[in-house]
Amino acid sequence: MIEQITTESTNGKIGAVMVLGAGVAGIQASLDLAEMGFKVYLVEDQPSIGGAMAQLDKTFPTNDCAMCLLSPKLVDTARHHNIEIITNAQLHKVDGQAGNFSVTVKKRPRFIDEDKCTGCGTCTTNCPVRNIAHFEEVDEIGQVQLDEEDSQTLQEILTRHEAERAAVISVLQDVNAHYRYLPEDVLRHVAHALKLPLSQVYGIATFYNSFSLVPRGRYVVRVCMGTACHVKGGHRILQALERTLAIPAGGTTEDKNFSLEEVRCLGCCGLAPVITINEDLYGSVTQAKLPKILDRYQGEPVAAETTTAGADDG
Amino acid sequence: MAETTASSDASKTYRAELLICAGTGCVSNRSFKIRDALEAEIRQRGLDDEVRVVTTGCQGFCAQGPIMIFQPDGIFYQMLTEEDVPLLVEEHLIKGRPVEKLMYVPPEGDEVVPKLSDIDFFRKQRLVVLRNRGLIDPEKIDEYIARDGYRALAKVLTGMTSEEVIEVVKASGLRGRGGAGFPTGIKWGLTRQAEGNGKCIICNADEGDPGAFMDRSIIESDPHAVLEGMAIGAYAIGAKNGYVYIREEYPLAMQRLHIAIDQAREYGLLGEDILGSGFSFDLAVHRGAGAFVCGEETSLIASLEGRTPEPRIRPPFPAQSGLWGQPTNINNVETWANVPVIISRGAEWYASLGTDTSKGTKVFSVVGKVNNTGLVEVPMGITMREIVFDIGGGIPDGKQFKAVQTGGPSGGCIPESLLDLPIDYERLMEVGSIMGSGGLIVMDEDTCMVDIARYFLDFLRSESCGKCTTCREGIAAMHDILADICAGQGEPEHIDLLGELAEAVSDASLCALGGTAPNPVLSTLRHFRDEYEAHIRDKKCPAGVCRALITYRIDPDKCKGCLLCTKACPEQIIRGEAKKPQTIDTEACIKCGVCRESCKFDAVLVE
Repeated sequence: MIEQITTESTNGKIGAVMVLGAGVAGIQASLDLAEMGFKVYLVEDQPSIGGAMAQLDKTFPTNDCAMCLLSPKLVDTARHHNIEIITNAQLHKVDGQAGNFSVTVKKRPRFIDEDKCTGCGTCTTNCPVRNIAHFEEVDEIGQVQLDEEDSQTLQEILTRHEAERAAVISVLQDVNAHYRYLPEDVLRHVAHALKLPLSQVYGIATFYNSFSLVPRGRYVVRVCMGTACHVKGGHRILQALERTLAIPAGGTTEDKNFSLEEVRCLGCCGLAPVITINEDLYGSVTQAKLPKILDRYQGEPVAAETTTAGADDG
Repeated sequence: MAETTASSDASKTYRAELLICAGTGCVSNRSFKIRDALEAEIRQRGLDDEVRVVTTGCQGFCAQGPIMIFQPDGIFYQMLTEEDVPLLVEEHLIKGRPVEKLMYVPPEGDEVVPKLSDIDFFRKQRLVVLRNRGLIDPEKIDEYIARDGYRALAKVLTGMTSEEVIEVVKASGLRGRGGAGFPTGIKWGLTRQAEGNGKCIICNADEGDPGAFMDRSIIESDPHAVLEGMAIGAYAIGAKNGYVYIREEYPLAMQRLHIAIDQAREYGLLGEDILGSGFSFDLAVHRGAGAFVCGEETSLIASLEGRTPEPRIRPPFPAQSGLWGQPTNINNVETWANVPVIISRGAEWYASLGTDTSKGTKVFSVVGKVNNTGLVEVPMGITMREIVFDIGGGIPDGKQFKAVQTGGPSGGCIPESLLDLPIDYERLMEVGSIMGSGGLIVMDEDTCMVDIARYFLDFLRSESCGKCTTCREGIAAMHDILADICAGQGEPEHIDLLGELAEAVSDASLCALGGTAPNPVLSTLRHFRDEYEAHIRDKKCPAGVCRALITYRIDPDKCKGCLLCTKACPEQIIRGEAKKPQTIDTEACIKCGVCRESCKFDAVLVE
């Protein structure tokens, strides 16, 4: 649909303004102009007005809630008699000169009769296609390319979870298992492949405990922080490991041999206090047993045992 | 039923069966190695036609692992090593003489108790959910079927309507075992009545409470019971799809679940047209990624949908609009595992167990400072004293009992004065705790209750999803106050401040995580106020836990000068000549406690 917007007036100037972009700046400008008596055409590329601020939790520097500031303005804009909102549209052509422009705006179809639509949202709920990312402003990949090996690995992982309706967590788990952390470049490609905003993938990667954004050591020492282990001195074991490995919980030794982590409960409360090193589980650990246990994991990585190593021989 | 992989050994009879526990606890104590050694030894002796080794799921008595039960005699062997295998085979299998030195000795006596059925730990239990534990190989569906498995499903599919199933579950009085105790039958009915295209059921196996491992154990020892329960539930509710949301920290349980699902599919017990009834239902397993808040049902749904697991406001309840907007029914592992028994033995029988308001049995993990740590299943209404002292065998090393913590981070502590309280949902609530998923952590005189409250808030602080300000900031503020008290910087007004914060956090948080977060503080304040006062007023930690408030000292009368502590001390600050009493440089001491741990004469004192 192409609309021609021209307004004639006697002095050659017209009483109408077009604002391009309905972010918070465009909205505020439109409101001010509309109050001053101008007819405002507010043009926005996205299907709805609001822009980046509508996606923010807080605003700098006052930490005010972004939506609390923005939403009254959205409502005012929509209700103002002097403002005409044209969304899902792009500037096509500008003719004329200062004071009297002729503008052609190209509006993308919505396949909906906008005059009749009440905005109830039922169509969105019932649409079988999910995860259409409307706010994907940046190209998640940019210039970042994966080398052949990485991209093959990622492809395999993606194929494995192709059938899942919400594959992102499973994919990240497999990536994390493969690299022992989530490399940023791979994360970008995951976001791109799953058609999710990088911010959402990042949100998931930082929320769940099992993901790490920094490389981890060859052996991950996990100390159980469950209640039974706590009562039986699990925190002392953690402190002793921090001393012995000279890293804080969450850290990795310089030689990248050990990473030290706290874990919620491992569910082996009968053997408290418990630690695991990669797949091996050690129960009834004491501070005195630690050096011997750690000694096994010095030097070359040992082949993963099919069973876990014993608690009493530590 | 298709005759596919039905192995011959399900029907063949043997002279003896050696049931080795292969739960996570025993596996970490090398039970697979022992099984291999046993099988090799038996083969070498030419007994492999008469004797069979079976790996079973968790038997519950984790403290004594690795465990083996010798059938048909019912002899209980414990703490086995590979070196014991030749002796065991020679003596018991060939000469018929049970090996006494591998048997269980109760903590207070010195007479061995040979039979499993005579051991106090097992004797007082009533196995309903764990009916198959230690008796079947969880990786073989035939053994489950041989113990009447999937009969309840067949009964439901061939002779009952969905409404009848729901009525039976309602009449049984079964309540959600995840913690909140909502009546299961009513929940099912709500989901059944909800309008929507396609319904779905979820098994919550994201066992988040620290100190609880019953769900892991149920899946490890009897995964088909959960699958059968879910299939029955799906039929009652009218669901075609199911999900099991399981913690990734449970690799063995996950593996067994996958095996069980594959086998059930192969036997036509999952999938299209189950048992020729026209009813179809299938399951998918979803691996959690480590977030405590996923135990909350709306968070769990968000996680299944691939989002960050923030809870949302209810209503709409999942029963109205859950996963992908479908009416969704979520139950805990233990709840699902109860269903087949209720169907096959009847609601009346089930309701005859337990108390007025809480029917049936409950599985508890009894852990912490107790002799017999492990998993127990007891009828509702049993007293805490029976669990801790009769089944749990009391407190080790002659120490004094202090409290039992129930309900995980949302629960509270029960002091000695309330030990005779019969356990059910309502009574626990009355004393400021909750049933929760069933973790019972026993604490003795060496446990500091202020430190425990601080510990739980530390846990909740890092697990709060951050959506509600009161939960995110309030828990952190409460934690900081408790940390101050533990560090000797407590002020008398802190106690009132804690109470005030607790009210704000529980009133203004959206989900149960925030709503119940102050419980550990409130219940310890209620029952152990004197400990808080000792920390604040006297700057002393009576239990000797809070590092800022204690000093280590060596009792010269007890010290033999063995130098064990001197060698163990990481700071090298224990001095003295050999064979003479040692002294600790208290100024330089980092209070790690190694000296006390290593001393064989109890000569290191905490003050």
